[in-house]
Amino acid sequence: MRSKSLLIIPLCLLVPVAYAAIQWTMQPRQSELVFIATQAGAQFEGKFEKFTADIRFDPKDLTGSRFDVTIDMASVNTRDGERDQILKGEDLFAVKQYPTARYVADKFIDKGKGQYSAPGRLTLRDVTKEVPIEFTFTEDPSGAWLKGTATLKRLDFGVGQGDWKDTQTVANEVKVRFALLLNKG
Amino acid sequence: MQLKNDTLRYGLIAQLFHWSIVALIVTQFVLANKAEGLPIGPAKIATLATHKSIGMTIFALAVLRLIWRFMNPVPELPSSTPRWQRTAAHFTHGLLYALILITPIVGWTMSSARNFPVSYFGLFTLPDFVEPNQALYEFCHELHEFLATALFVVAIVHIAAALKHHFVDKDDVLRRMLPVKLKS
Repeated sequence: MRSKSLLIIPLCLLVPVAYAAIQWTMQPRQSELVFIATQAGAQFEGKFEKFTADIRFDPKDLTGSRFDVTIDMASVNTRDGERDQILKGEDLFAVKQYPTARYVADKFIDKGKGQYSAPGRLTLRDVTKEVPIEFTFTEDPSGAWLKGTATLKRLDFGVGQGDWKDTQTVANEVKVRFALLLNKG
Repeated sequence: MQLKNDTLRYGLIAQLFHWSIVALIVTQFVLANKAEGLPIGPAKIATLATHKSIGMTIFALAVLRLIWRFMNPVPELPSSTPRWQRTAAHFTHGLLYALILITPIVGWTMSSARNFPVSYFGLFTLPDFVEPNQALYEFCHELHEFLATALFVVAIVHIAAALKHHFVDKDDVLRRMLPVKLKS
């Protein structure tokens, strides 16, 4: 017993700092990734049904924390089949060439009262740009909720080719809202 | 000209309601046909957005018009008008009122059912009273087109009757809805 516990100490020192934060597992059923776009002056919501999130986060160890989210672009659901098909098409998400989008954040800023921000990078249609997120992290004995928002400009990523470059009818700005239910381990 | 109706003619307010709704309904048919011919894209979305805003304007004008109607005397038909024509006139007018009230509401519901919330000329967004639902959308789409066709047909009957009064009976029935002097 004694020799074993003594061994743990040097082993801990071997673990790189970047992997020190707690590893979380996202619960896909309870988690959501929503976007709010504006069409002809009216906002509508859509979501991505399939995405995976590799979340390492510890409020006490922000430097060792990291988010890595992969979104299946073909899983877009705006509750209108025709619009979903258009979104998946070449001029917008172009899911055949770019089936996934990815969001990576590894710098975190503690804004106090459970509020954080992260200047993460989004890769969409092969374009990588910084998209900051604002989020809250609330832990309870069973897990944690990671909830936040972001705002991006669709044309920064080429979402909108040809006629869809027009921002009079379909606004450039798109809001994103996410809520991830996380379990330890 | 007088603002309110009397038993002989429509006043300026009632005429404004009548003719502005006529102009907007004609615009609606033009926009609907234009949108139908466009491929899915920003131009189609913008055309339909204008169609929706005008539709809600028609609805609002129709409500105000009915309120105004109840606050005013309705000009009487010429005493020579046969009974069946009086019944036909009341029935046609009732249908026209019903159609200009119901058609926009069905259009609005149809938009909500497709998760295309309606913005009123970009000023504010109307609430959605129904959840997105494909079957409801398709039903409302069919119904909206049916109501628009019915409106077109009933309007033709209404126009034909007005022209018959003007050119055949040579009475004041058409004239009293225009800002002109009456014959009698």
